[in-house]
Amino acid sequence: MSTSVTARKLNPQQKLILCDLFAALFCALFGAVYELFSHGVYAYGMLYAFAFPLALGVLPLLLLTMLRAPYPNRFARNAYHAGIAALTVGSLVSGALEIYGTTNPLTCVYWIAGGILTALGAAVYLVSLSKNRPEITAQRDCRPGR
Amino acid sequence: MKIPRYGFAVLFGLALLAFTGYLLADTFLIKRVYTTAGEEPAAQTVSTQAAEESDEIAIVTAEPDEASPTEEPAQAAEPVTTDTTYSDGNISVQLSTYRLLETTVYVADVRLSSADYLRTALAENSYGRNITEKTSSMASSVNAILAINGDYYGAQRSGYVIRNGVLYRSTSGGGEDLVIYADGSFGIINEDDVTAEELLASGARNVLSFGPALVEDGEIAVSENDEVGRAMASNPRTAIGVIDDLHYVFVVADGRTSDSDGLSLHELATFLQSIGCKTAYNLDGGGSSSMVFLGTLVNNPANGRKSSERSVSDIVYIGYGA
Repeated sequence: MSTSVTARKLNPQQKLILCDLFAALFCALFGAVYELFSHGVYAYGMLYAFAFPLALGVLPLLLLTMLRAPYPNRFARNAYHAGIAALTVGSLVSGALEIYGTTNPLTCVYWIAGGILTALGAAVYLVSLSKNRPEITAQRDCRPGR
Repeated sequence: MKIPRYGFAVLFGLALLAFTGYLLADTFLIKRVYTTAGEEPAAQTVSTQAAEESDEIAIVTAEPDEASPTEEPAQAAEPVTTDTTYSDGNISVQLSTYRLLETTVYVADVRLSSADYLRTALAENSYGRNITEKTSSMASSVNAILAINGDYYGAQRSGYVIRNGVLYRSTSGGGEDLVIYADGSFGIINEDDVTAEELLASGARNVLSFGPALVEDGEIAVSENDEVGRAMASNPRTAIGVIDDLHYVFVVADGRTSDSDGLSLHELATFLQSIGCKTAYNLDGGGSSSMVFLGTLVNNPANGRKSSERSVSDIVYIGYGA
């Protein structure tokens, strides 16, 4: 019962923050376990993969909440978080390859796609801010039950 | 058409998963044979530039000279063997085991009458990506008297690969390489300073690109903090060194086990210097480290959670060839 009450209290922005926080925690745990079994060989990509959802996801969303800034629209959210996902997975994969002692040029796809999508999401949000569209405000999207 | 709320996330997640699966398969599973060792290349020299761009083989063969064998060398006499020795008049191998720093180190002292007996072999007799075979299997297929794992060239996309006088890869990785010349002498070069073609022209028979150099001119060439990539200090190791003309040591140290901790590069270099090496070079270590003597695996490779041989790209061996 307490869970459903808690869930009802969370608005979409808070849910998104929790999702990013969970992703960051998962990456930190995954990296720690992977490093544990990698015979002391370490890779920054594996160690710091959690920084992408934390620095690009949790912190900006917290900032928006604190500033009471408008909540990003769905396109901006999707593009931005797809970018974070690509960067995070790219970091983990690059780390795993580095620990194994190999490389693959295809890993650059993660960085390029992640960078473009994240920038696209942020740009769409900024444009929407400049147009001051009321339909994407935090107040509207964050009403309980929406 | 209305897109479901999580439709994009699901589709993108699937695409990301599929791409990652392909990337991992491309890195570890999908075999690409560029050429078979021993095949006569269509031309003496193939443009390496085009080959590098297409990620394919660059074949350049050495000009034949007096030091390059044109026929398989013949065994001198009936070999005399024990569990730890081999001798036949051309090749003499003495296997010893050392215990230092909580680590078991296997040393094969090798004396040859000709540098022709110091050879390399590729997994499945082929040059390519993800072409791997166990050291013992490769040793068996080339009738090796003694074999150790090589530089695992297949795990890298760059770094010179010259084997038995054939240039397979001329893409510089900027690392330190071991050059084994036709007269059996060793040299350490930096890929930034010389091209693979120049090495071949100067008489290189084999070039191994792992590193770093452990001993140069009798002096230790690594510091206490040097490591391969970002590895922990103690690891299983494989190294090769030269003591004198046609007098070599093949060294493998066990590690990552309860019985044997493993060595740091500096510890390994110090040991190699202590047994008289003038030049010594670090080969692929970790789970790849393996030594095979007369068909028997000598050491205890630590391959992940299990104690078994890892399949590798290539070996360095002593023998008369397949």
